[in-house]
Amino acid sequence: MIELREVSKTVTSGSEPLTILHPLTLQIPRGQFVAVVGPSGSGKSTLLGLVAGLDAPTSGQVIIDGVDITRLNEDALARLRGEKIGFVFQFFHLIPSLTAHENVSVPMEIAGAADARERARALLEEVGLTGRAHHYPSQLSGGEQQRVALARALANDPPIVLADEPTGNLDSSNGRHILELLRTIHHSRGTTIMLVTHDAELAAIADARLVLRDGRVVEKVA
Amino acid sequence: MMFVLRMAVRETRASWRRLLFFFVCIAVGVAAIVALRSVIQNVRVAVNGEARALVGADVVMSTNREWTPEARQKIDTHLAAAGAFARTETTETPTMVRPADPSKPLAKMAELRAVQSGYPLYGTITLQQAQVYSHALLRQHGTLVRPELLTALNVEVGDRIAVGETTFTIRGVIAKEPGSGPGGFSLGPRIYIDYDDLASTGLLGFGSRAGRLLFVRVPDDRVPALMTALRQDLRQDFVNARSYRSREDQVGRDFDRAEDYLSLVGLVIVILGGIAVSSVTRVFILQKIRSIAVLKCIGARNAQIIAVYILQVMALGLAGSLLGVAVARAAVAAIPLALKSSSASLLTEAHYGVTWSAAVQGVAIGVLVSLLFSVVPLLHVRFIKPSLLLRDETARRRRDWLGMAALVVVSLALVGVTAWQASSLRVGIVVCTGFAGLAFVLHLAGKALVALVAPLANAKSFPLRHAVLHLSRPGNQTRVVLLAVGLGAFFIVGIRSLQASLLDEFSFQTSADSPDMFLLDIQRGQADGVRAFLGDAGHGAGTFQLIPVLRARVVGVSGREMNLNGPQEVRERGVSLGREFTLTYRDHLEPNERVIDGAFWSSPSAEPEVSVEREIAERARLHVGDTIQFDILGRVVSPRITSIRNVEWRESRNGGFVFVFRPGALDQAPQMFVSPLKGPADPAARARFQHDLVQRFPNVSVIDFRDVLERIRDVMSKVTLAITVVGGLVLFSGALILVGAVAMTKFQRVYEAAVFKTLGANTRMIGRMLLFEYGVLGSLAGIIGSAGAVALTWGVSKYALEIPWKIFVTEHVAGVVLTAILVAAIGVVSSLDVLRHKPLATLRAE
Repeated sequence: MIELREVSKTVTSGSEPLTILHPLTLQIPRGQFVAVVGPSGSGKSTLLGLVAGLDAPTSGQVIIDGVDITRLNEDALARLRGEKIGFVFQFFHLIPSLTAHENVSVPMEIAGAADARERARALLEEVGLTGRAHHYPSQLSGGEQQRVALARALANDPPIVLADEPTGNLDSSNGRHILELLRTIHHSRGTTIMLVTHDAELAAIADARLVLRDGRVVEKVA
Repeated sequence: MMFVLRMAVRETRASWRRLLFFFVCIAVGVAAIVALRSVIQNVRVAVNGEARALVGADVVMSTNREWTPEARQKIDTHLAAAGAFARTETTETPTMVRPADPSKPLAKMAELRAVQSGYPLYGTITLQQAQVYSHALLRQHGTLVRPELLTALNVEVGDRIAVGETTFTIRGVIAKEPGSGPGGFSLGPRIYIDYDDLASTGLLGFGSRAGRLLFVRVPDDRVPALMTALRQDLRQDFVNARSYRSREDQVGRDFDRAEDYLSLVGLVIVILGGIAVSSVTRVFILQKIRSIAVLKCIGARNAQIIAVYILQVMALGLAGSLLGVAVARAAVAAIPLALKSSSASLLTEAHYGVTWSAAVQGVAIGVLVSLLFSVVPLLHVRFIKPSLLLRDETARRRRDWLGMAALVVVSLALVGVTAWQASSLRVGIVVCTGFAGLAFVLHLAGKALVALVAPLANAKSFPLRHAVLHLSRPGNQTRVVLLAVGLGAFFIVGIRSLQASLLDEFSFQTSADSPDMFLLDIQRGQADGVRAFLGDAGHGAGTFQLIPVLRARVVGVSGREMNLNGPQEVRERGVSLGREFTLTYRDHLEPNERVIDGAFWSSPSAEPEVSVEREIAERARLHVGDTIQFDILGRVVSPRITSIRNVEWRESRNGGFVFVFRPGALDQAPQMFVSPLKGPADPAARARFQHDLVQRFPNVSVIDFRDVLERIRDVMSKVTLAITVVGGLVLFSGALILVGAVAMTKFQRVYEAAVFKTLGANTRMIGRMLLFEYGVLGSLAGIIGSAGAVALTWGVSKYALEIPWKIFVTEHVAGVVLTAILVAAIGVVSSLDVLRHKPLATLRAE
């Protein structure tokens, strides 16, 4: 379960403090598919980054499965991400020097899994990229790269997947493909999914919607 | 762990090409270390194997006087006690040799060795053309000579040569003789004659500089005791004793020192490579920032990521080091081929190969330096935040205590590595501090120069403007390239201008109307004859002077500050007074002399008086009014000091003397004459002059300054070549670093070039930009090197050589221009594919 207690984020922009996220309290039960919607600059990605421990909140607590992650140091956060959280970025962020198969294996290798290679192969098959396993990111199309990124997010079979505008950089057919995959994963594995998007239509496939504007929640739809 | 290993392998696979040049740099340094150490160890093995042959005996005693009956008595007693079972004697002296054939007007100084039948006790004399040495070859006025003498005198085997007052028939040519170690300076080629024929040459007359040696074989375990006994008992008899062991120890120390110091040169190159590795690691991490953020995002810890890159650096360091060992192997294997043609010595005897210890040291240093220099920049990994994947932000830098601690540890470790290589903590500290100081100065100079050319960023020329801007672009390698290339230029220009100023100094000394020949060993009875010979215009000599010389030892001083009674006290307490001195007497000061205390005489006096040179007077605390006791061949003379002179040694062309006597007291003492003179200018006339002089006065030796200058020139050009090779290696490393730096920032340049092209720049313009950029960079490096060289020549001229300092404009200008051309050429050539890339493909990929 993901729980946020009075979480806020303020950054200094020039000399002015700028609040990108106002205090927010929120609970996302295990296995829920939540869409975070809002125009750009509304604080969606920031919220996702705080949940993943990629960023530290200015105030408040982020609790993942009962653990307050704001108290963890960098290395402990890294370990937590490796075990519990898969992340999908708008710009894919694959490691350019590694093949698709290697990109998927890395999280499992970090976690010390013995069967990383076999599982990576299975995951690539799951996203329909068996034939492209030994290609480098630069040799793959955007849609393919995002599917590799998705496979990588699922590598350690995490209970939570966070997706930051995963279709934002893709054409509509590739975008649909990715969404289908997310939905399948949600159903078959019972994964908790937080999907950030500015597209209300895409958000419609989610169980719940969270609408942000200027760093505040303006609407919660269950 | 598996993750770290796999990741390191994958990263190396992806980026080894870009890092290659820096590790080739490490390879060059490692190759230098391994090759130098191996060669010296090889030669050392050869020398140690022949230590006895080099000394020619288990124990050898030598003196430059006649053996006195008392000394012989003592030696015989000690040798009998030590159970000596073989002995042989030689006498050695430099002398003039000329062809007996009067139609050949040539003469050459040679080192004569007269040997008994037992010689050599160890080792062998090897003759050319498979002739076998036996003492019978020397009997009845036979001689064996070095091949150089044959050419110098235009004679061959079977011809006769004149030595002193008699002639000898050449019966063979020496290929190799015992006692010829590596290097060593001789007055001329060796010739052998029979010991019993020596007297007939008349060379052992009064004042002869002949050395007498006595070689013995004794049981090995008796050597130390014998040495102690001989040294204690013969101290008063001017007899020196040494054993093959002391030679071995001495040689061992020399080799250790040579090995350690020479390998420091290699270490400097490795460290240069290390600095490049450090700089490139920093850029590398900047380029990998996103990948590192991703790794952190998917669960990798800092330590794991740092470990990945350290492993990669070490793998490349190891590969570079192994390459270095391979290069060293090839270089060392080529040595016998290179030596084949040159003269026979121990160098050709050695068995050449890379030694295990040298290879292991080289590899250890290569890996260690790679590691040390990459640790600090790799710590930057800790500051990369995974959140930068969500939005662009620059991490705020906190004070990095861990980084600073690492810097301290790394610096200490470097001092440790250097100290280990130099086998001395002091040298380690000095070299590291010196290098750090030099790097800092070069860094500041680089910064200042870059700032100096910064106004060019407003220049009219578009390519020049951008070229200057590029020198301070983010992630630029300007400073590293300036450091490496500047250092190489510094080595080469510095040594070239030092050579130029030395040669200039010597040719100044031999030019004009100053003496360029020196006659030695003129007997008193020959003085008038020599004077007449030199005065005869037909012989072609210019101005000359005959100076009386006497050999003497100080045996006592009674003065205001210093009181010494007897030779024992002089040796123990008389600072600088313990050696043998050459004295003269005259009634005038030379132009290079000035009295600074007391007064110089102008007329003879029967009362002995002496004038003392300033430096020795200061060191030995002698003053006007003090009395010195001299032993002049057994007779004691006690002159009063009446003046202290300052002598400009640099201008002492008529011979500088520490002690000058007032004429009168020494006129009748046993003495010889020397004569500085201006010889004939034409080489053939010069040879004839020497020949005719020696024919009339066979015991007189002629030192031809032109020959000496030639020899100095020869030695100097070899030294210069050696240092230039070292400088060349440094410069080569600099060039590699430059190529590497270009490769490293290529992606950025390709992108820029693409943008420029879409904005309308053509290939030529971009080419000109590159040319200007590297031209400016090269000029700056050349200026840094040249300025350093000016400082070097100034320091060395003033403090080490004590010659006037001069700037050799040609060397410096050539240094700057050639460096600029080299850097511009390398920079442009290694950027050629930047020009070839099509802009659209590049922009799409971004």
